[in-house]
Amino acid sequence: MNPDGTLNTAVIVKLEPDFSEGNVSYNADGTLNRAETKNILGPHSAVASTAALYSKVKYGSRVSVATMGPPIAEAALQQSQLICDADELHLYSDRIFAGADTLATAEVLKAGIKKMANGQPIDIVFAGHRASDGETGQTGPQTAWKLGYPFIGNVIDYDVDIKRGYVKVQRLIKSYGYHDIIEEIEAPLPIFMTLDPSFIPFFNTISQRLKLARHQKEAIGRSSQYKEYLKVFSAQSLEVNSKAVGLPGSPTIVYKVEKIPRAKANRKADVIDGSSQGNIGQVVTRIYDTLGGTIIK
Amino acid sequence: MEKFDVAIIGGGSAGLAALKHLSNLGKQAILIEGGKKIGTKNVSGGILYSKNPAVGKVYNVENIFDNFLKDAPVERQITKYILHATSKDKVFSLDITPTHNYQSNFGYTVLLNKLLTWFAKEALQSAENLGGGIVLGVHVKSIIWKDENTIIIETDELEPFQVKAVIAADGVNSEIAQITGARSKFTSSELYQGVKVVVKLPEGLIEERFEISENEGAAHLFAGDITLNHIGGGFLYTNRDTLSVGAVYHYDSLIENPVEPNELVNALLSNPFVMELIKDEVPKSKDSYKNLSKEEELRARFKSNKLIKSWKDLHQAYYSSSRISDLLASGLYKTKDDIKNKIDSIHNELVSKYDIGFETNYVELEYSTKLVPDGKRGRMKKPYYKNILFIGDAAGRGIFVGPRIEGINVGIDDAVRAAESISKSIDQNNFDRLGERYSKLVEESPYTRDMNEIDKNYLKTFLDCTKQVPKDIVGHRYGTIFKLMSSNTLRNISIGFANTLGYKRLLPILESNNTYTDVPVEIAERAGRDLQKSYSITIPTIAERIAKLDYNDDSLSHIKVLNSQSDFMKKMVTLCPTKCYSIENERVMLQHEGCIECGTCAKETDWKHPRGEKGIIFQYG
Repeated sequence: MNPDGTLNTAVIVKLEPDFSEGNVSYNADGTLNRAETKNILGPHSAVASTAALYSKVKYGSRVSVATMGPPIAEAALQQSQLICDADELHLYSDRIFAGADTLATAEVLKAGIKKMANGQPIDIVFAGHRASDGETGQTGPQTAWKLGYPFIGNVIDYDVDIKRGYVKVQRLIKSYGYHDIIEEIEAPLPIFMTLDPSFIPFFNTISQRLKLARHQKEAIGRSSQYKEYLKVFSAQSLEVNSKAVGLPGSPTIVYKVEKIPRAKANRKADVIDGSSQGNIGQVVTRIYDTLGGTIIK
Repeated sequence: MEKFDVAIIGGGSAGLAALKHLSNLGKQAILIEGGKKIGTKNVSGGILYSKNPAVGKVYNVENIFDNFLKDAPVERQITKYILHATSKDKVFSLDITPTHNYQSNFGYTVLLNKLLTWFAKEALQSAENLGGGIVLGVHVKSIIWKDENTIIIETDELEPFQVKAVIAADGVNSEIAQITGARSKFTSSELYQGVKVVVKLPEGLIEERFEISENEGAAHLFAGDITLNHIGGGFLYTNRDTLSVGAVYHYDSLIENPVEPNELVNALLSNPFVMELIKDEVPKSKDSYKNLSKEEELRARFKSNKLIKSWKDLHQAYYSSSRISDLLASGLYKTKDDIKNKIDSIHNELVSKYDIGFETNYVELEYSTKLVPDGKRGRMKKPYYKNILFIGDAAGRGIFVGPRIEGINVGIDDAVRAAESISKSIDQNNFDRLGERYSKLVEESPYTRDMNEIDKNYLKTFLDCTKQVPKDIVGHRYGTIFKLMSSNTLRNISIGFANTLGYKRLLPILESNNTYTDVPVEIAERAGRDLQKSYSITIPTIAERIAKLDYNDDSLSHIKVLNSQSDFMKKMVTLCPTKCYSIENERVMLQHEGCIECGTCAKETDWKHPRGEKGIIFQYG
């Protein structure tokens, strides 16, 4: 938190291929043609940026956005700034960062986050659920671990109690085939959270709406001159250990991604004639038996 | 609970003018708008006037928005105002530009989506500094009085908030008027139903066809057989590179003799005279490529669509001097002929390689409808309820006298009067007489005078224009009316006569099938020039028109049918402009999904505006 009591927040984003129709291009062997495909701010990164905007509107937070990548990754920062009206943009760019897996990326991000907001501690770090061109969903949790921050995933809503220094979050837990559960958790700041793709910020007072409109307007101005907010860091200026980053710092390599084949359904269906009341009773009993055990209050 | 000074409900032209003027006066105001973006729920014919009455003062758009004349995205300044009498294959045209110029500084054609976005930008700059602003996507559902001078506003989306005064600018179907009981819903005799289509036409073709320069515009009005025997008429206004073509009819004449609103606009579009004005070269998309394999067909379709797109773009650009200079400056083309050659080569490629045909037709962009309150009959005599002031359409204020068609300017004048009244109350911290003060200011407006009595000088100006109608075509049935038009003495007598008769008794004579259909048809038949169709027009079906519109569908209906068997509701099956009603087992059924929120069915339904951000999204308006 800043001396004046405002929150410091950070968003981690990624420049990803635009998989929307007409923008994506594939090689003959079915792999992604990265040269031909347009790159944009990843959809999950956009959700994380929205979460930062929410904290900016609701709590007047300061927002820093960071990404690791080649110079073109600036585009992701600019697009994120357009969403969250960021006060500071960080690009971590160095040849030796190339080939990094999630752990080596986390090392760079950790070092960068510590340099944000003029070295003031960051209270909340937001990140997306996962990247659309990687399938691990690990960079967020590993950065949290390196920072020593508690990690909360699948967040769909949050509230900060600034006086107490606590955050209350709601997270969506999908138990496929059964009910979705909404879990409410309270945790002391600082915190690292990743947002569920279904996160939609809701602004329910007039003053929040007015602030939102002001930030949206300001964001258009800022992002059109995003270079003024941009700081580029190399391995040296980040003061990272060159053995902990890039290829040397990566214990894993994603070799191939495969879809898990869907298991065949083994349900059995009974046909029940609905004309008599007794038969309908059977249906109700069956529904009750199936659902009864999983209803969570 | 959050507290603000003033809430303005509705972000149309009147509401935004109120926000701007309150901010100019240094007063904090919050404007609440249901649409997700400003200008997406608004429709106008539309000409925006600035007036200069001989007696009294009106507040004009350029008085409120200082940058209006310099910056506002208006379309064209009207310099030609022409009335056409049509019969099946003849038209008689009457130049009535003097009636347009009558006591007016200017009249611009406008498209509301564009214009209101600009109004909002201008208003917001002043409002924000005072802690006010615009809140979008919010629907006001109720109003509660905490005490005489404290109003609590409840919405579907936000926590309730508190204000000292409210300006209700929520349009012809004002819910605030219903919630407060300030007025009953407008009756069919107090309303017009307007239908409009926006037609695409290259800038240069507009100027050539309407015989206007780059800075000029034309407005054409129509009466006669195109009315399909209803009281009202058609209009065709030139915008920058589009045309607004529409039909406006007395609602009670539609109730009496129901006809589908799209048929009324179609009657105008398929008039040979109008057809010539709207025609353009149009590529015909191909339905199937029979000889090609699936993959080749997709490829051909993709390529030809891309070519059609570039052809359309260049076709538009070629007829616009500014676009031509842009293209030449870009270095892509060296001369204007290069552009023409490119257009021709794309054309040839489309015809020879992809078998795409070109035809003469017209290009329709957007279909819309709106109810218009007739100020002569429907204006609120007391346009307030406690601390809530009604302005513009919400207060039923529009001036419609023959070819005099004004609405937006009246709403802006109301907005200033409301803002002035509230500002005074805030300064004195006394809201006791706010409503009366506003009402008095509105009564002083020259516009109110024009709603109460006929302006004999205007009538004279109009009748003077009708001198052009040849005298020797006097028919038996319409003898008096023809004589009125052609004789100087009779004209003067009739003006005096009009004064003695008074507005109320004069209106049924002025606004009759005789005036709008029979007499114009007779004039066209006897004195008009022959018309011939030079091509056959393909008009989109109503289903195609709806399919082109943009909606944010709501699963909940904002309209509830109260009596599914009433005569009125049965007429809605015909009169709903987007065919939301159908009859099943003699009961009227509603499918709200295609609704464009005009309020035609509001009289006998529980009619609300959709929740915030939901419903129709007009792109032109």
